[in-house]
Amino acid sequence: MSGHHQLAGTTLRGRTAEAVADERLRTNVARAVDRFATHRREGLEELEDPDGLRRAARALKQQVLADLPGLLERFADEVLARGGHVCWAPTAQDARSYVVDVVRRHGATRVAKSKSMATEEIDLNAALESAGAEVVETDLGEWIVQLADETPSHIIAPALHRDRHQIHDLFVDAVGAAPALGTEPTELVGFARGRLREVFLAAEVGITGANIAVAETGSIVLVTNEGNGRLVTALPPVHVVVLGMERLAADWAQAELLLTLLARSATGQRLSSYTNVVTGTRGDGEVDGPTELHVVILDNGRSDLLAGEYHEMLACIRCGACLNVCPVYRQVGGHAYGWVYPGPMGSVLTPLLAHDQPEAAELAGASTLCGACMDACPVQIPLQDLLLSLRRRKAEAAGTAERTAWNAWAAAWSDARRYGATTRLATWGRMVAPLAGHLPVGRSWGAGRTVPRPAERRFRDLWREGL
Amino acid sequence: MSRGVGDVERWTGTEHGDRERFLAPARGLLADGIRPNPVHVPPAAPLPSDPVPEARYLNLDPGDLVTSFADAVAHAEGVCHVVEDDVPDGLLDRIVAELGRRDGPSVVVSPEPEARAVGDRLAARGLAVAPATPATAADAALGVTSAAAAIAATGSVVLDSRRAGGRVASLLPSVHLCVMPVDRLVATPADVLRRLGPGADAPPPSLVVVTGPSRTGDIEQLLTLGAHGPTALHVVLVTGGQGASQPSGPAAG
Repeated sequence: MSGHHQLAGTTLRGRTAEAVADERLRTNVARAVDRFATHRREGLEELEDPDGLRRAARALKQQVLADLPGLLERFADEVLARGGHVCWAPTAQDARSYVVDVVRRHGATRVAKSKSMATEEIDLNAALESAGAEVVETDLGEWIVQLADETPSHIIAPALHRDRHQIHDLFVDAVGAAPALGTEPTELVGFARGRLREVFLAAEVGITGANIAVAETGSIVLVTNEGNGRLVTALPPVHVVVLGMERLAADWAQAELLLTLLARSATGQRLSSYTNVVTGTRGDGEVDGPTELHVVILDNGRSDLLAGEYHEMLACIRCGACLNVCPVYRQVGGHAYGWVYPGPMGSVLTPLLAHDQPEAAELAGASTLCGACMDACPVQIPLQDLLLSLRRRKAEAAGTAERTAWNAWAAAWSDARRYGATTRLATWGRMVAPLAGHLPVGRSWGAGRTVPRPAERRFRDLWREGL
Repeated sequence: MSRGVGDVERWTGTEHGDRERFLAPARGLLADGIRPNPVHVPPAAPLPSDPVPEARYLNLDPGDLVTSFADAVAHAEGVCHVVEDDVPDGLLDRIVAELGRRDGPSVVVSPEPEARAVGDRLAARGLAVAPATPATAADAALGVTSAAAAIAATGSVVLDSRRAGGRVASLLPSVHLCVMPVDRLVATPADVLRRLGPGADAPPPSLVVVTGPSRTGDIEQLLTLGAHGPTALHVVLVTGGQGASQPSGPAAG
């Protein structure tokens, strides 16, 4: 049971139209992003010169990316030296087969997962389920979307599109909660705590992503508020990490600055409740912790971006701040983006990582280019500029019909006489203007817009006559 | 599966997939340098060779770390008790009263001396006290531990699995009581995290910076405590009659 990302066979316009028509969704999303954005501002204001820290974080991530192969080797060697196993996975398929193999080898039927966007990206749950394992997401929001057979709509708050009543009904319908269960968040959380506690205690394998991997000590850093990241790495005997290859920090000075910015940019907290550093397996004399650790290092298209004009996107620390300030995300929520990563970071990443799906390219248009995302990004990724580059790339790849139309328009309006002719034409066409949105050529542009009716007399004519 | 900590002969894990083949595309592309984005003029940035700056915290009073810490614990929805020499009886009574009654061992303690001392006093009150294991902790209402360090700027306590003999005492029970002497209080997260490094400074198998009780905002972004971990966190900072200490490193784990 896992939701499916629905880029194929859909259009951005279709998905947004559906989202915009859903008043309840828009209310839920707007309420959530406003809270996040306020908390973020308050959190950063407690630091002296937060912009200086963001500049430094940007510089250090650029350095990490430039040194990435060496840092990955260092990281892997440290993991191996501590008894951990390392899998180099160039593709999603490589990563899936390795994890499925680990689960099979242990005869595991119960897998507990802590929220991980990398595992969403490679659609790991479906692979594990076809191998006969029951996979349970343990982050509350992620569990909610799993029960609803949906995908996450926000990278740090997966169920933000649902309100308490919808969640209550889901618990009743999908997991047999008593209808008398209250709709207060404390009651809903208490119910989920009880159910998921059983999962943690029974799971044979725990799977997590990684917020940061620290090369110098081979450590995995997991940041959670609920404590599910700790439970998944404390109770199951086997811990599997799926690590996006770009999530490295060279050393603890770098990791510390990133963690400081991550918590405040994501939720405004000084630190998240649990900053959990996993280094190797259970130690001598410890009563808990996994006895086996596997780290799957995932490429899945990231190397291709490493030295090119989109390389800065690999600096992303997945805090969600750009989603929370984006006027487009605010109106449509995460599902309208159609793939794993929504919001401005998703509009850049999706066309780059899901380039085998032609529908991905149009996401570059899911932006007003207002730049709020760049101002919010803790590592100063130039999201707006990257979106512009992607638009240029899309335009260059556009068909001849579209290019001819744009060229004709450019030719017409770059000359005063020809421009005047088009406006006269528009005046004559005044009576048919309301139909413009229904003509074949104007239909896609006109949908959702009110086509303005040209004036009876042109401004330049009025001007010539002294108004 | 025995191995020493930091000794020369350790068993190593296995490697799967082809490291060289995995790294070759990245190496090849980076060899020609990074092609900048033509649309983008990068902002002036520190040089990569510059040291990573440390955040300065406006909520931190470097002259009074104890007060800063207590305020920050409360800010993170925890409860901080600053006491002179021992956990007061009144506080233990209150915590016990809040636990309610349960079957089985209702308190688990980590093997740290500070935690065991509290455990003995709770046992003397007639509570069932057991060493923490996954089985005992799953049924316990209260978990008692100490900490390797505490952080004034963020109100965090730092738990070290090597020192605490594991992870579950601070994780499974619904209330976590952490008792720590003031000489392990440091100013900022950097004072803990930046001391980690290769070799002897390597982190333990599990190092957790705990900032307040477990929480979720996944239902309407409303703060709800006790998602999977403890619903309440009590931190007892024992000053030994001193006021604020100077910033100092965390005691070795």
